[in-house]
Amino acid sequence: MKDAFVSVSNLSKTYVSKGETLNVLTGTSFEILEGELICLLGTSGSGKTTTLNILAGIDRPTSGEICYNGHNINEWSLDYLYDYRLKEIGFIFQEFHLLEHLTSLENVMVPLLLNDWKEEDARERAFNLLKQVGLANKAMGLPNELSSGEKQRVCVARAIANNPSLLIADEPTGTLDSKTGDDIMRLLQGISKKNKMTMVYTTHDPYLTKTASRIFVIQKGMIVESNAKNLEEVGYGNIIFGKNDKGEIL
Amino acid sequence: MKEVKRFNPPKKELALHKKLFNILSFNLQLIFKNIRNRKRSTVIIILGLTFSLSILYTASIWSLTSQKIIADDYVESLDYEMYVESWQDDIELYNHMYNFTTEDPLVEQVDWIYPAIALFNYEDKEDTYRWFPEDNQEDMDNPLSLSNGFVITNRAMDRISLNLEIEGNTSLQSGEILISYTQAKQLEEIFNEEITPGYKINLAISRRIPYADRGETQFQHFEIEDTTFENYTVAGIYKFVGHNTIIDRLIGGGATESAGTIFDSIFFPADVLTSYDFYRMINWGGIFPRLLVKTNAQQLRAQGIENMPDNLLALRDRIQVSYYHAYCYVLDHALSEMTNEYARAFGSTNLFVPTITTAVFLTYFSTQITIKKRREEIAFLRSKGAASSQIIGIFFGEFFIISFISLILGIGLGILLSALIPSFGQNQFFNRTLFNRYFMELEISPYDIEMLSILILGSYLALTLLNVIIYVRKDIHESMLVTQRGQEMLEISVKIIAFVLTIAGFLFFLLLEYRKLAENSTTFGLSLISASYRALYLFIAVVFFSCYFLSLGVNFILRNMKIIYDRIFKKSGFFIHKNMLRARKSFTELTFFIVVIVCLLTTIVVIRSTNINNNNVEDDYRYGADLRIQSLIPVNITEFENQIQSIEGVQSAFGFYSVKASVRLYDVEVFGIDPLKFLQVGRWIDSSFVDMSAETALTQLAGNPLGVIMSNFLVERFRKNIGDPITVQDIRGGTYEDLIIAASINSAPGLGVAHGYDPKMNREVTEWVLVNKEIIKYSLGINNGSLFLATTEENADIEYISEEIKKINPFAVVNPEKINPDYIGYFINEHIPPANNILLVGAIFVNIIGIVYIFISTDFVLEQRRKENAVLLALGGKQSKVRKNIVNEILSFMTTTFAIGIPLGFLGSIVTLTFIKPLLMTREVIPVTLHVSPLIFIIMIISLFAASLIGIIPIIRKQMKYEIVHELRAVV
Repeated sequence: MKDAFVSVSNLSKTYVSKGETLNVLTGTSFEILEGELICLLGTSGSGKTTTLNILAGIDRPTSGEICYNGHNINEWSLDYLYDYRLKEIGFIFQEFHLLEHLTSLENVMVPLLLNDWKEEDARERAFNLLKQVGLANKAMGLPNELSSGEKQRVCVARAIANNPSLLIADEPTGTLDSKTGDDIMRLLQGISKKNKMTMVYTTHDPYLTKTASRIFVIQKGMIVESNAKNLEEVGYGNIIFGKNDKGEIL
Repeated sequence: MKEVKRFNPPKKELALHKKLFNILSFNLQLIFKNIRNRKRSTVIIILGLTFSLSILYTASIWSLTSQKIIADDYVESLDYEMYVESWQDDIELYNHMYNFTTEDPLVEQVDWIYPAIALFNYEDKEDTYRWFPEDNQEDMDNPLSLSNGFVITNRAMDRISLNLEIEGNTSLQSGEILISYTQAKQLEEIFNEEITPGYKINLAISRRIPYADRGETQFQHFEIEDTTFENYTVAGIYKFVGHNTIIDRLIGGGATESAGTIFDSIFFPADVLTSYDFYRMINWGGIFPRLLVKTNAQQLRAQGIENMPDNLLALRDRIQVSYYHAYCYVLDHALSEMTNEYARAFGSTNLFVPTITTAVFLTYFSTQITIKKRREEIAFLRSKGAASSQIIGIFFGEFFIISFISLILGIGLGILLSALIPSFGQNQFFNRTLFNRYFMELEISPYDIEMLSILILGSYLALTLLNVIIYVRKDIHESMLVTQRGQEMLEISVKIIAFVLTIAGFLFFLLLEYRKLAENSTTFGLSLISASYRALYLFIAVVFFSCYFLSLGVNFILRNMKIIYDRIFKKSGFFIHKNMLRARKSFTELTFFIVVIVCLLTTIVVIRSTNINNNNVEDDYRYGADLRIQSLIPVNITEFENQIQSIEGVQSAFGFYSVKASVRLYDVEVFGIDPLKFLQVGRWIDSSFVDMSAETALTQLAGNPLGVIMSNFLVERFRKNIGDPITVQDIRGGTYEDLIIAASINSAPGLGVAHGYDPKMNREVTEWVLVNKEIIKYSLGINNGSLFLATTEENADIEYISEEIKKINPFAVVNPEKINPDYIGYFINEHIPPANNILLVGAIFVNIIGIVYIFISTDFVLEQRRKENAVLLALGGKQSKVRKNIVNEILSFMTTTFAIGIPLGFLGSIVTLTFIKPLLMTREVIPVTLHVSPLIFIIMIISLFAASLIGIIPIIRKQMKYEIVHELRAVV
């Protein structure tokens, strides 16, 4: 059997706000193999984004273990974690998080410059990446001059700039219409395949699970299904209405 | 049912009333909630406004109170302000004048005095005894002693004794006299006995013959036999410790070289003289009285301190119009000097204006930041259907309440500071008595308070609302996709409007002040000083405008320094350059304020150092040499010179021979000098002579026994040139000398300016000229003098030399602390801190304001960038790298703004100095040259730079501590 590229066990995350405790993740475990395209399906507040943030190393779990390529990232120092985020992870945000004062090209250059690339080289690579996502003509455009779809393409280009091993996308089509969403998903699928990247993305839209090699279903901070290949295996209706296999309301 | 009610409202009046109440109550709740929730920004704004208001209130209250106290104290310290005499020798006329003057509302009291000459050791002298000059008498082994003598009432004595330090009794009884310390010492020499209170002595009083020193050479002119007083007791021995006294003005040219002042006078009581004594004195001795007039200080200053000299002159005119034969001498010069000095001293408090202005701007910018931070709130209220007027109303309510709180605090603090600041006065130690006095006698002008409140709070509220309106409008524009450039233009327009409003406010204020001044101003000096600080105001406005436009230039530079950023900061250069390019969330928003702060700080520090340096150089120049020796009693010059020179450590010494004379219509004091010694000993400067070095000028004088050095004013006035002849006449009343002009002079070390009034040297408006000493010594037979200059060897023990000199001449004062202790400026400074202290405090405040503003703004800019920084960290940026980028960015920004602000500040100080010279110096004796005290400059500039940089590190660290996930989720 192939070794897990990412292995998560007993992951839990608790937030304490104004004396109230909120258990976002409650001891979830799963494994991801190299080159897989994982869709994390769940309703709002189920813990999808928190799982991705912990996977990407931008949030720390309350307990549990995350092994990346056999290494427990919880044990890493902050410096290791920065390098991990910079070199191993490509993150695509639902709300794009482009730097408003930089052009598309410059936004894509940011991770390269953070990775100590020379400005000229970074500029050349960023331009090629924008070409790759079909946005060469908007390279000099500022984010507020781009459409949502174009912004997300810039995000994709930025995420793959340092050629990461793990591409993480948090609801990449969440703010897009269905056609643009489809385009973006196709783009992501193509890029991950072409660059042999492992990819995990979240969605609450069952329609977008079709590109995934596996579907994880997350409910109340727990992966309840991690081997489904399609919606039927997941139990489409229950996901929509928030019920379990027995029809009980979750 | 509810719906029915909604469609059937009650009566209109009641509904409106209720509606208004509901709206008001809702809005008030919102307003108070907003204020409560934004404690930090509210406190900063209240502090800024309170500070600005309180300083302005303080200026007004302190000014009114201090001028009242100073005027009262000064008038109280003067024995009298006027004396009245008549050229008609009729005692009845004096009685009339006495009654008339006493009834004048300006007059507090009128007293009698009989000025005369007192003679001691006259008993064995013949009528033909030759006495002129005093030290060249026929019998120098048993000489006659002369002094000014005043027959005076006890009530007048009480007033005069305010200026005297008396050993023994002040109140004179029958058969008692009060003599000066100088006279006592002279008598000790003559009688070879110690004179102490209780000593018995014979004296005669005689008529003072006007200009007795001009040709009056015979003893019998004094007709002493009719007014001799035998076996009188010396009740007290006094030293003169006051500043201005009318008694000095009652004394003519001086009967002797020493008896020309109150330092050498005697008093004896009029109250105990019999009518026969008076008869003898008036009818036989020809000694007529004078009326001493004491005015009421409250009446005198009723129309303001600046009108005091005019009020006094009006009293003189009233008397002279009623009595054509009357002559009134008034101390208006002393009062004018006091008002001028007051205006100068208080005018110097205007040097605090830049600080107030920066505080106002700090407050304004803090408010702007607060409003910027609340853009979302405005957008939210708009989205919920709030009308623009409603949003503006809420903000207006908030800032109105803040302004009101600031107003109350400002008045309270203003009152406290008005009593507190002067109580630190000159010596910088708290004076509780002065504090209590100021606090009890505070004079508050409601008009000033109203005007200042309207000026500050009105313009503040107007500018704030303008900003709110912009944001309310901007919200709509944003939704209509207005370009960023459009917004920038809008912001620039607002700033320009803000500046125009501020300047308009200033001008309005100045106009009101000018109107007040134009109605009241009486003296040229006062107008000059007023004009000076008005020019200062306008200049500050110009500085602010220049800084604004310059800051646009600085931003242009910052945006175009990519090569430099790349070279210095390598790979971080990209981020720094990009941040400089952006219009919002950038430190370039601070440029204007930092340029202003640095510019003002530099200007204040440079002006202060220049002023201190100039004062020191000028004081050195006024002292004239390493040693300045002033003898209270004239001594033989040659003898004393030799004695001084024989002291170990003294290189060379010389004394000034002096005599009064005139050049055409101008009274002059003729100083006889040894030119080459004066050249060697004196601290000459380039500007001492006109178009000539001191060496050339004094060598020319030494080479020409009949040479004379005159003031440039006289040379030009008489259209003379170097080498032309000129006559100095009326030397001691009759003789004259034909002299050749050897050089024209501006000023000399030890003597001060050669033309015009030099208060620090206690020079009246008489000119002085320099001649070779031989002219005075041999032609006029004068051997005595009282002023000596000496130069010492390097590392000489000045203290030892001083003690040695005092052993030789107990009346000698070596290097006096103040050349003219009567200089009225010192009196004023007891109440108003000197300009240098004000500048120092101003610099410290500007520094603090600058640092606070940099903190607030950095916090605000970084707060806005929190999400961006979180994105950079999420993308793999190291915290240390992101932090370093921010520090580098601030470093680049601050270095550039400082590099521009400092030269601008130097330029500003040159221009400011030309405007405010009348505020800083009583008379420009030495050309003012720009001087920078490196220590103070480094402390001020580096502390602003370093404190800002060090201070923002915790802010940056705080901003970096936020959780990335939290920041990414937050809506900014």
